[in-house]
Amino acid sequence: MIRSRLVTGTSLRTYLITRIALVVPMVFILLTLVFLLMRVAPGNPIEAALGGHVPPSVIKQIEHRQGLDKPLIVQYGDYLWGILRGNFGTTITDNRPLSQIITQNGAATLELTFFAMLVAIAVGVVVGLVAGRFRDTSLDVFGRLFGIVIYAMPVFFIGLLAQLTFGVWLGWLPISDQASPLTQALLQTHTNVYFIDAIWDRNWAALWDVTRHLILPAMTLGLVTAGVFIRLIRINVIRTLRDDYIEAARARGIVERRVVYNHAFKNALVPVITVIGLNFALLLGGAVLTEETFNWPGIGHELVLYLGNRDYTAVQGIIVVFALVVVAVSLLVDFLNAFVDPRIRY
Amino acid sequence: MAKRRFRWLLAGSAVAVLAVTAALAATAYGGSKANNKIVVDGTTGTVVNIDPANEYDYDSFTVDLPIFQGLYGFPSGAKLAPVLATGCSHTKNLKTWTCHLRHGVKFSNGDSMTSADVKYSFDRVQAIKGDQGIWTLLTYLKSTTVSGPYTVVFHLTAPDSVWPYILSTNAGFVVDKNTFPADKILANTDTAHMIGTGPYALTKFTAGQQVVLTPNTHYWGAKPKNGGVIIDYYSKSSTMKLDLQQGHIDMAFQTFTPTEISSLKKTKGVKVHSAPGVNIRYLVFNVTRPPFNNINVRRAIAYLMPRQAIAGRVWHHTVKPLYSMVPAGLPGHTNAYKTLYGAKPNLAKAKAAMKAAKVKKPFPITLWYTPSHYGDVSADEYIEIQRALNASKLFKVTLKSAEWAQYSSALGKVYGAFQLGWFPDYPDADDYTVSFYQPKSFYNNGYANGKMNKLIAKERSSTGTKRIKYLHAMQALAAKTLPTIPYWQGDMIAAGRSNVSGIPSTLDATYYMRFWLISKS
Repeated sequence: MIRSRLVTGTSLRTYLITRIALVVPMVFILLTLVFLLMRVAPGNPIEAALGGHVPPSVIKQIEHRQGLDKPLIVQYGDYLWGILRGNFGTTITDNRPLSQIITQNGAATLELTFFAMLVAIAVGVVVGLVAGRFRDTSLDVFGRLFGIVIYAMPVFFIGLLAQLTFGVWLGWLPISDQASPLTQALLQTHTNVYFIDAIWDRNWAALWDVTRHLILPAMTLGLVTAGVFIRLIRINVIRTLRDDYIEAARARGIVERRVVYNHAFKNALVPVITVIGLNFALLLGGAVLTEETFNWPGIGHELVLYLGNRDYTAVQGIIVVFALVVVAVSLLVDFLNAFVDPRIRY
Repeated sequence: MAKRRFRWLLAGSAVAVLAVTAALAATAYGGSKANNKIVVDGTTGTVVNIDPANEYDYDSFTVDLPIFQGLYGFPSGAKLAPVLATGCSHTKNLKTWTCHLRHGVKFSNGDSMTSADVKYSFDRVQAIKGDQGIWTLLTYLKSTTVSGPYTVVFHLTAPDSVWPYILSTNAGFVVDKNTFPADKILANTDTAHMIGTGPYALTKFTAGQQVVLTPNTHYWGAKPKNGGVIIDYYSKSSTMKLDLQQGHIDMAFQTFTPTEISSLKKTKGVKVHSAPGVNIRYLVFNVTRPPFNNINVRRAIAYLMPRQAIAGRVWHHTVKPLYSMVPAGLPGHTNAYKTLYGAKPNLAKAKAAMKAAKVKKPFPITLWYTPSHYGDVSADEYIEIQRALNASKLFKVTLKSAEWAQYSSALGKVYGAFQLGWFPDYPDADDYTVSFYQPKSFYNNGYANGKMNKLIAKERSSTGTKRIKYLHAMQALAAKTLPTIPYWQGDMIAAGRSNVSGIPSTLDATYYMRFWLISKS
């Protein structure tokens, strides 16, 4: 037994080290791809900004100053060297440090995705469990239909419907921004996550305002992700309820409610950890569209803006941040899985 | 039983907490008298740089205008007038301009403004040569000298009759020499150092989200009619429209689609204000490459341009047909294209031009436009032009489009005929003529006309009615030689809630949003 534990411990460590080591080539390939794709696309940030009103000679002069006329390989070397030093640079079109975009807009995205994930888990788990438990009843049909429809609907479409229903027709909730203009102007920012900032300052009026602004975007993004959870949890519940240990529990005379709640549901939820990790990338992708729909000042909102302006530095920086976050979450999920399930090893 | 009672108690407490929070929210943000006077404006624009030394786009200018001032400006209406100067005089050759400054002007931090600040501001723009290119407006400025604390002398390399107009642009905005670095651009978020002499001070800047302007307590002029301004930035005009209709913002300016404007006009509690503006759209030809090097082909298109259909069907009459690159309302404007090609499409004359062109009919041509930079309506606009040209059976038009980043790098280098828009550096006819007709212009269309070059030189070195005469001649020559075909001039449109007043007082040919004239009841 002791020997077995030692072997497991060693292989777990190897597994963790291997996973971390794989991150390096993964990020390197991504950096290179983003760099090349941005250069392959026609146009450059200087022409996009000035092409409508200054002579070509001035544009050339500015391109030279920005180093955009250097050979591609030199630009690539400069870019990698900057990243290695942790310097993501300053945006070309509006001189904004990337660190500011990451902390300011990244915080807004974090706030949105966190609450969206809460919505996804709450809706996904409840509807999935109920549908699985009451298989082939009207509740199950409703749950399955709901899961398929919200997963199939584009996130911006759900967003528009929510805006029209709760913002325009019923007038219950605001349809845009992270907070109302006055709240935004007066709220002291400490973390850039307005929900936390409002609590930090004990500004309950701002907290109420921020919460109201969060509801529609978080519900929209959360519901799309919930569609995946519903289907997965339902299947797991159905499978778990057929397992031998459930039969055994029933045979021992344990009340059905306890069998379902204490044994079947808990075990059915274990695979969800993996799916949460996998869906994080989906959530970030959805956040770009949700942010556009709700004028939410997140990092995806900025990405769309800078892509249009061909701002190499900004786009490269934002995509690297996205990638690093996804890699970090995947890594965390892998670690959790490896701890939970000893069968997972390289 | 006890368990159930506990649950009810819990639910009741939750409702009570929510109600108290809602009440607190209402009193904290709705009750303050000072906050009620703050005007919240929505826009779909993007701020690039607030520092005047590197600001060369309209959206950033709208933020600069309430914070900074130049020696000249447009304080009310479209008439150029001294602002920080009491007046400027020039030598006979228009190469030396001496300006006398207003006394008692203070920056928003309380520093007094003197000629040293003015010299510092101009030297700074020329030293930094910012990436946005605003320094190109000071190309003719050789040096700036001072003569005492209230006199500044500008020495130019060439005669420049429009120098006072240059002084009204942000290349000439005066900044505090004690707060702005001499050799680098100030970050937009550095509100502590972003100090000007205008009616407002910048107190908060959140990129892509919000600009907060508070009244400048040291302001030398009339106090703003509101308690401050918040500019809220939107990525989509549809969301901005809904927010205006719901009353989440007080007004919105820049930029709604024509259908959104029509919808807002029908909304209870919202008023749409408009006045003739100076924003224009035009078609550019590369005059050196086939097929548009054939002047008769260009003439046939000029005869067929469906201005009325574009203004009515596409823009719902929020723009007006334009018959010169110089918009109507600016001194020096003439309807040169109307004189030569008529007010409405003329098929018979177009046929005659095509006969003279000696090309097969229908003649295949390609027109380029950019689908989002000038708004989604661009596609409809070019479909209308295509429809009109094809209906004549003289042309077979292919439409092509490219996003702005690609489009702006191609223009005349790649495209034969392409859409462009223009918003002026300064609202004067000079900016609508010299920019387009000088050799090696920004759009690379190959246009170079000796007669035009002479007219430009004469216009730049004369003043008054003589200068206007040259401007008229330039427009007539352009209509004849057709490097471009102007087709519409946009109105300046702003929409506000019915409790917002003063918006019409800022709508004029300058296209300036003077927030200090707007109040809220």
